[in-house]
Amino acid sequence: MITYAPHFISTVVISSMIILFLNRDHGIINNVIAILGGERIDFMTSPGCFSTIYVWSGVWQGVGWGTIIYLASLASVSPELIEAARIDGASRFQIVCHINFPSILPTVITMLILNTGNVLSVGFEKVFLLQNNLNLSASRVISTYVYEIGIQGGQFSYSSAIGLFNNVINIFFIIIMNQISKKVTQISLW
Amino acid sequence: MKKSRSDQIFDIINILFMLVIIIIMLYPLCFVVIASFSEPYDVAKGNVTLLPSGFTLDAYKNVFKEPQIWIGYRNTIFYTILGTAWNLITLIPAAYVMSKKKLSGRTFLSWFFFITMYFGGGMVPTYLLMMKMNLINNPLVIIIPGCVSAYNVFVFRTFFRNIPEELGESAKIDGANEFTILFRIILPTSKALLATFGLFAIVGMWNNWFGPMIYFKNPNLYPVQNILREYLYVIDTANLQQRAGSGVGNFNPTFIQQISPKGVRMAIVVVTMFPIMCIYPFFQKYFTKGMLVGSVKG
Repeated sequence: MITYAPHFISTVVISSMIILFLNRDHGIINNVIAILGGERIDFMTSPGCFSTIYVWSGVWQGVGWGTIIYLASLASVSPELIEAARIDGASRFQIVCHINFPSILPTVITMLILNTGNVLSVGFEKVFLLQNNLNLSASRVISTYVYEIGIQGGQFSYSSAIGLFNNVINIFFIIIMNQISKKVTQISLW
Repeated sequence: MKKSRSDQIFDIINILFMLVIIIIMLYPLCFVVIASFSEPYDVAKGNVTLLPSGFTLDAYKNVFKEPQIWIGYRNTIFYTILGTAWNLITLIPAAYVMSKKKLSGRTFLSWFFFITMYFGGGMVPTYLLMMKMNLINNPLVIIIPGCVSAYNVFVFRTFFRNIPEELGESAKIDGANEFTILFRIILPTSKALLATFGLFAIVGMWNNWFGPMIYFKNPNLYPVQNILREYLYVIDTANLQQRAGSGVGNFNPTFIQQISPKGVRMAIVVVTMFPIMCIYPFFQKYFTKGMLVGSVKG
């Protein structure tokens, strides 16, 4: 229950927390670095750190929630299999590798295929909130660019074309992932 | 039963791993709450680790004195209740209808919903559409459009299909019409699913800030997330004018100057996320069941 608490926090709160924690002068991370003797780093304005910050805060937020689906699948592993394995002398770790993991493999593949559809449309909200003028070289993604030129800049036709193109590529990715997974593991969406 | 050596080691590693994960998950949230109760100077210096130092309620007093926060709360609650209600009202009949085998255009309807899951107009065409329908600056713009998710329709449809037909038929023999079947039989059996997706809708509407940002020009319509964004972002950047183009309303400048202290920022963050944090433990027992129905049966 604790692990999926961060899922319910909104993007605004998450990025506010990130900015408050990574502040160069007052943030807690920099305070710890300073106590340990290092030099304070300005995380939010360096383009190199942006992808790390974005990805790991996304992991922090999403990992608890994602495990619920796998938890539901794991609950359906039949106990007889595990009993049989124990009688044959398998250790806990071997049971996890050889029984539990293959049982949830269909769910894993399905989630993977569905998520590759979102590869190009890297969510708009968090990127928009975490970007500032100084890390723009790393944080300008397609969705925020569309916002910049479309709603703020007024070039409606160009940005609509970009959005459409984005969608087509996403569908293309899903189809390809589906074919690959069909060939490799015989699990597919359709 | 005596555990073997490797099992014991596995248990110990497991427990340590879990403890580390709990600390990583919880500490940022705890820190924000603790810091909101501490003296701003201590927070800036870095003296706050596990307990508030210099316990003070000043931050919260400052936050609640500002009328914008109350307006934001009122708006958020309004949007959340209406949005969730509309979401469920449109979702359940759609899924029920699509779960009937005798419906003539069933395949066409399924594809109709399925395509919208992956293919959408994008940000700009949607904005233009709202403009043409004169919904800009109208609170209904974030409640009515976009409140039905095709994925939810599919999940509910699958669940309704798995309810035996005989129940409905026997009710018909007793003289029930479709509405009675829906409300008296189908809905009570789908409580787990309703609770799960109801919670999703509530959380989604509560955390929704992008729609209000691009559609509302009047700051009195902003929900509390947008107000949080104004206070934490507008004053954080050195160049206020630069950010002024990205959706800032006409804001009270004196309050902006007052709220530089760290404690007040933390207090606003806590105030924004507090209600959801209080609600979600009550829905916990419905999650696993609700997720299982949706994902495994596909």
